[in-house]
Amino acid sequence: MLQQASLVLRDGTTLDDLIMRDTNEVSLRVMTDEELYSHEMERIFAKTWLLLGHESEIPKSGDFIVRDMAEDNVIIARDRDGSVNVTLNVCPHRGMRVCLGEAGNKPIHQCIYHGWAFKPNGDFIGAPVEREKMHGNNVDKATLGLKKARVHLYGGLIFATWNIDGPSFDEYLGDIKYYMDQLFCRTDNGLELLGPPQRFVLPCNWKVPGEQSGSDGFHTLTLHRSLMEGGVMGGTAESIYDQAPGMYGVDVSCEQGHSLRCLEAEKTFKMFADVPFEGKSVEERLNLLTPPGITKEMIPQLFKNLSADQVEQLATIPPQVGGMFPNILIAFIFAPRTDGGSSGALALHTYVPRGPNQVEFVNFIFAEKDAPEQMKRDMLQNSVQQTGTSGTIEQDDADVWPVIMRNARGGVSKHMTLKYQALHGHERPEGWKGGGLLYPGFTKDDTQWNWWMAYHKLMSEA
Amino acid sequence: MTWVTKSTAAPDSTTILRGLSSRKRVPLGSEIYNRLLETLYDEAAALDERRFDDWIAMLSPDLVYQAPIRMTRTGANRDRDVMRTMFHFDDDYTSILMRTGRLQKSAWAEDPPSRCRRFITNVRVGECDAAGEYEVVSYLYLERSRGDNPHNEQLTAERRDVWRAVDGGGYVLAKREIIVDQSVLGMSNLAVFL
Ligand code: FES
Ligand SMILES: [Fe+2]
Repeated sequence: MLQQASLVLRDGTTLDDLIMRDTNEVSLRVMTDEELYSHEMERIFAKTWLLLGHESEIPKSGDFIVRDMAEDNVIIARDRDGSVNVTLNVCPHRGMRVCLGEAGNKPIHQCIYHGWAFKPNGDFIGAPVEREKMHGNNVDKATLGLKKARVHLYGGLIFATWNIDGPSFDEYLGDIKYYMDQLFCRTDNGLELLGPPQRFVLPCNWKVPGEQSGSDGFHTLTLHRSLMEGGVMGGTAESIYDQAPGMYGVDVSCEQGHSLRCLEAEKTFKMFADVPFEGKSVEERLNLLTPPGITKEMIPQLFKNLSADQVEQLATIPPQVGGMFPNILIAFIFAPRTDGGSSGALALHTYVPRGPNQVEFVNFIFAEKDAPEQMKRDMLQNSVQQTGTSGTIEQDDADVWPVIMRNARGGVSKHMTLKYQALHGHERPEGWKGGGLLYPGFTKDDTQWNWWMAYHKLMSEA
Repeated sequence: MTWVTKSTAAPDSTTILRGLSSRKRVPLGSEIYNRLLETLYDEAAALDERRFDDWIAMLSPDLVYQAPIRMTRTGANRDRDVMRTMFHFDDDYTSILMRTGRLQKSAWAEDPPSRCRRFITNVRVGECDAAGEYEVVSYLYLERSRGDNPHNEQLTAERRDVWRAVDGGGYVLAKREIIVDQSVLGMSNLAVFL
């Protein structure tokens, strides 16, 4: 029996009316409903771990950046002890923003309204004219700090949550960690953010790009057919649906709603069509088609930081695109060159809710810290040209999402459903080493349905 | 603007550089000023009318075409807000050809195309050190109409160009730096050139 969902909207609609677990459908209404959105703010965005940035943005003591945890603006600051602190950017005095810039260095954050001052870790220092006790007659200063979030660093990525006693970050990641480690924890010095993120807003609900980040591989064939026409991916414009390049692999997922698409890289690219990978050793494969961002010199680091099984997967059927619930998209894109080199693109996006009808797309672009400067340069260019604001791949996504959103407003249209009925079902491929929920073969709806099930689970818990 | 800053997410390595840097001013109303202004108008028309071949013909093969991101800064760094470590556009002649080639096939972001109007104003011109090269700074105001949406998307920017005189008359664009005014773009994609 399905467990009864506890969420009921004012008009009597239940979560199960919106997310139909018996037929694998989701009502289009979820994209516009304001009441549902306010529940999401509390049940999802105040509860789960959220990605805010990368350690390399705040290398020195006092460095800070300002980001959003959904609609809550936060300060991410490095303190003198080297710790990374995430605090609510709301002055406990009368609600002004304490930090008005987006990035910089400040040993003390002073509110411009009445002058209350705070340390980078959020601790209250004092109010001006100390002798007058303008922070309150009998109030303990220790209670007047900025509200602190719980922080976790993963491969240098800064995650935070308001759920102080909730699941650990590893519990949040679950079985997908084995695969995520292959992307984020594979080199000695890890990733580096190449510059502050691109930011832009789209007129659509956060779940429109959100559900796609649950590894919607299928849309690539049609929406991104310019990749095939441009001759980057295998196949030609005429044979896209026959050859279906990039569609066959193993989609991995878990009940927490995260997912990754693992694809035999050589099958994705035209230029490797005649290169035999069969029978080659792990080292030979890594040398032929080095993972994006890795130089041939860095290959030994992979063996040092990952298990033999993980390296073998990275060399054979690496994770390439996917997402973390609720609002992160991951793109580790191979870009082999005919001269034998390879740089690729490493990008993460967060889809930050800005009201039920708007989402901010934040595009983080990375390279490996140890990569040569020219490679970083190439990767920046690749990423900017393919992802984010002007990216030739994601321009097309940004064109679709607002249109879906407009449809979701129609009195009739909003009762249409999103369908996730092309399912494969969990199946462990022979010899597969990693855990999680596994979907070998053509990419189907399973991982995205798992995304909605993770959504359903959190939304059912008050 | 070529690759001068080392890649870094730390914002304070960025330069303040904006506006016209040339000391040798080409005065408003002079012959060269007028011809460059005419070139900017012709370019805007080619882009508005989606005549991409005509636009490509106005580009130099050594083109550098970049749009750094903009940030909100405070205090001592309040004017250090153009981040030349991260870009909305980071292109050269080859990648621009890739983009225009795509626009003639399945680029759904511009199919159906948006209807654009590029207003170019506040044009200031100076001579570069290299003979026949001119620094041309202009303001761009872009109105973009899409589908049946009655509300246009808009973008304002400063463009810092280098135009080079070519044999047989006319100029080609050798460099463009687009300094957008928004730290968070309100335009849902940049499938159009700026
Ligand atoms: S609101 Fe911040 S000091 Fe008064
Ligand atoms: Fe896409």
